[in-house]
Amino acid sequence: MTPTTVPVPLAGTRRSWGDRAFRSVTLASGLLVLLVLVLIAATMTGKAWPAFRHAGIGFVTKDNWDPNNNHFGALSLIYGTIVSSAIALVIAVPVSIGIALFVTELAPAGVARVVTVIVDLLAAIPSVVFGLWAILSLALTVQGPYKNLSNLTKSIPIVNSLFKGPVQGASIMTAGIVLAIMIVPIISSLARAALATVPESDRAAALALGSTRWEAIRVAVLPKVKGGLWGASMLGLGRALGETIAVALIIGQSTHVSADLLHPGATMASTIALEWQEAGGEHASALIALGVVLFVITIIVNSIARGITRRSEARLAA
Amino acid sequence: MLSLTLAACGSSSSKSSGSTNSSSSGNSTGSTAQVSGTLNGSGSTFQQIFEQSLITGFKSVQSGATVTYDGTGSTAGKTALANGTADFAGTDSPVKTTETAQYKGKALLYFPIVGGPIAVAYNVGGLKNLKLSPDTLANIFQAKITKWNDAAIKADNPGASLPSTTITVVHRSDGSGTTSNFTKYLAAASKQFTLTPGETVSWPAGTVGAAKNPGVASAVTKTDGAIGYVDYSTAVADKLNMASIKNSAGSFVAPSLAGSTAALDAATINDDLTFSPLNEAGATTYPITSPTWILVYKNQTDATKAAVLKAYLAYALGAGQQLAAQSYYSALPQSLDQKAVAQIAQITVGS
Amino acid sequence: MSAVPAPAGHLTSSISAGRRARNWLATVWMVGAVLVALVPLIFIMLQVVRKGLSIVLKNFPDFLTKPIQVQSIFAGGGMGPAVVGTILITGVAALIAIPLGVLAAIYLNEYGAKSRFASILRFFSDVMAGVPSVVMGLFVFTIYTLHRSNGDKLVAFGGSLALAALMLPIVIRSTEEMLKLVPNELRSASLALGCPRWRTTVSVVLPAAAAGIISGAMLAIARAAGETAPLLFTIGLTYTSNWRLFHNQNTTLSRQIFSNSGIGFPAATDRAWAAALTLIAIVMILSVAARIISSRFNAVIIAS
Repeated sequence: MTPTTVPVPLAGTRRSWGDRAFRSVTLASGLLVLLVLVLIAATMTGKAWPAFRHAGIGFVTKDNWDPNNNHFGALSLIYGTIVSSAIALVIAVPVSIGIALFVTELAPAGVARVVTVIVDLLAAIPSVVFGLWAILSLALTVQGPYKNLSNLTKSIPIVNSLFKGPVQGASIMTAGIVLAIMIVPIISSLARAALATVPESDRAAALALGSTRWEAIRVAVLPKVKGGLWGASMLGLGRALGETIAVALIIGQSTHVSADLLHPGATMASTIALEWQEAGGEHASALIALGVVLFVITIIVNSIARGITRRSEARLAA
Repeated sequence: MLSLTLAACGSSSSKSSGSTNSSSSGNSTGSTAQVSGTLNGSGSTFQQIFEQSLITGFKSVQSGATVTYDGTGSTAGKTALANGTADFAGTDSPVKTTETAQYKGKALLYFPIVGGPIAVAYNVGGLKNLKLSPDTLANIFQAKITKWNDAAIKADNPGASLPSTTITVVHRSDGSGTTSNFTKYLAAASKQFTLTPGETVSWPAGTVGAAKNPGVASAVTKTDGAIGYVDYSTAVADKLNMASIKNSAGSFVAPSLAGSTAALDAATINDDLTFSPLNEAGATTYPITSPTWILVYKNQTDATKAAVLKAYLAYALGAGQQLAAQSYYSALPQSLDQKAVAQIAQITVGS
Repeated sequence: MSAVPAPAGHLTSSISAGRRARNWLATVWMVGAVLVALVPLIFIMLQVVRKGLSIVLKNFPDFLTKPIQVQSIFAGGGMGPAVVGTILITGVAALIAIPLGVLAAIYLNEYGAKSRFASILRFFSDVMAGVPSVVMGLFVFTIYTLHRSNGDKLVAFGGSLALAALMLPIVIRSTEEMLKLVPNELRSASLALGCPRWRTTVSVVLPAAAAGIISGAMLAIARAAGETAPLLFTIGLTYTSNWRLFHNQNTTLSRQIFSNSGIGFPAATDRAWAAALTLIAIVMILSVAARIISSRFNAVIIAS
């Protein structure tokens, strides 16, 4: 503790000049985020305007992405973005939380440290390398399992339309898997940090009462960190929604809505990345409009997540 | 600075070959005065490898000058020229009417530098020497022909044993000049091709997109029954099977550098040196041939850059043409090359 | 609250089979999750090392310093300019984003807390994390690159700005999560001792959260260093090293991976893998360094 000579004990309410200055600096940094975001939104919407005006509501409701004919119905891209990110979350959240629990609750310190370093290594792999690996080897190895999946689900209604085939290695499913791998380090690192906050005494108390380790986790640990785990998953989702190069390489870039997850698809980010370099005029404007839509989707997703978190916190408090 | 002034003065006369030669370049057409400064180009990925050869060769005769070329795509290159992030653009297609506004009325010059075949690569069992007519090719890429033993393919390949394998069409997932030239060819050669040609085509559902030339090449290699289009250099590097395409003179021609030079030679050249070598006739002409240009402002504002630019163009159209074949580009035919060299003198410096 | 009592005795004696099964399942889940994450990592690392290592080692350490081979279809050359560019561009981005992000997070957690304004700020910072990197590049291109003087528009700093914008929300979110974890008792104790809030934050809260903050910042740096898309419009290309932030074009390892992997010749593909290996190695070294620093921090806290 740094020694201090301020004599007044009611420091919490007292505002020194240093306090006021520091508060202003931090507030300014916070405001900068808003400023940047407003600037992004303004410049992007400005540039996207011609496309929005041309396509109207059809931009998000029509499935006809055909740049050469100036048709910009981005439904298939919105669909691909949401579905691939959803697949990624379904896979990555349990895995990430599992890893975080392993590190904080189960493994001896040495093992935990090694696992932490290894998982963080995943974060160090650049997106383009994930993409290259995915297209060079993952896309080939998944074809067998995909065929089995397709055959297994053939007679189950609804599910069979998700896995109908003919299966393609470059598909929405593969993109979701790659995204999952990419967001595991983010989610698990934050989940780990959240778990580490739960005081050792809470676990000890639960265990002393005769709980199994899992019961201690479920009762004494998880409820306390629910908000943190949601925050972690949200950051992961943010990354998944906006991830560009890896998805662009593996998703097969087919701009048609298809219920079949084992078929090529496209996401908004992949389309921006792939088509940008040869896009001019209205096409370029439409690609920026995709960025705006992605923006809006992120806002919606975040609002929903925040609602859920708040409700769960409220329930916890009650 | 002295050398710059010399070069800048040289530009006002019709040709700047008057100075005595101090470098050992074998180039007789362009300026050999020493220039210095940097020149940044960007654009067409198709001409990127050739630009890299040029940059290396140019550095050896003009050690004071630095040229870079960033393969960002033709449209991005044209935009970069317009907004000043590049000094010259590489492009596989002339400026479209929708793109002219960005140059604010400033005059542009096109310098054709090389050409090259676009290969139709396939992987069907052990099938070799596949022949395809334009209509068959158009229907395969529109997913109207779906099996390799389709009657139309049989008709193009009498006597060949064709399997019943399903055709997997592989196309470029990224916007590309290769896609543009390939679809423009299909539109020109076959009435049955109804998709709108361009850099980013709305291919039918069920076809697979792969990124860039290597992506398409690897997808074709790894998928039995696949067919796709790639730049010739990639097809050669990856040892892909390449189809012979029936040209408008009725002969089936396999992609080759000679075949695409013949196409460049057969093309009608406009006054501004734009042209389309697609679907040209001739016994040895390969019909899917891509042109590519360096695009510059006619009036340069910076004398230093103008001097480097003129020297670079002179090199590209002179000694540089010898470098084309080593990286699988076809050199310009003599007549076109001379027209382009003569056009260098039209570049002026002013503000 | 000393060491956790070993519950082994309880487990075998008084716990029902169902509870034991659930406990066992949970253990399988945790261990399985680690293994599932390991599989792709091992595959990717093997591939990168197998394809990249021989190229890097062929002329080591020259590979890390030599100029880039202009003719990408031929073997040879190094990645010097890209190493320089990566360190320069990502480093400057980190210098911008980390202080700003940490300060913003301090506002959110220490001052704003549950206020409406803070929750709006928090919300939009998460939204910012979802902005695709390619859009971020475009944004910087519009507000910065285009306004630079003619002939020198594409420079390293443009890339730094784009990467900083990408890092900022990650740093804010992870830092705030870490600050939340600092027990309130620490703050109360410090405040009760008469420390003003800012001193409390700087000398008590931040050090307590340092390890987590650094590890969050590392995640942000790792993400930024591997980014390609925003650099496509902002930094241009160079074949020789350029340490200048505001002058002449630049390049990075990620850009080299991207462009070399797009050329179908073996020499270019090999170079892409070698650049990938170099990039991963640099980020790893940074991670390890940060980990050591943060553990020092922790040690200091515990000691004091």
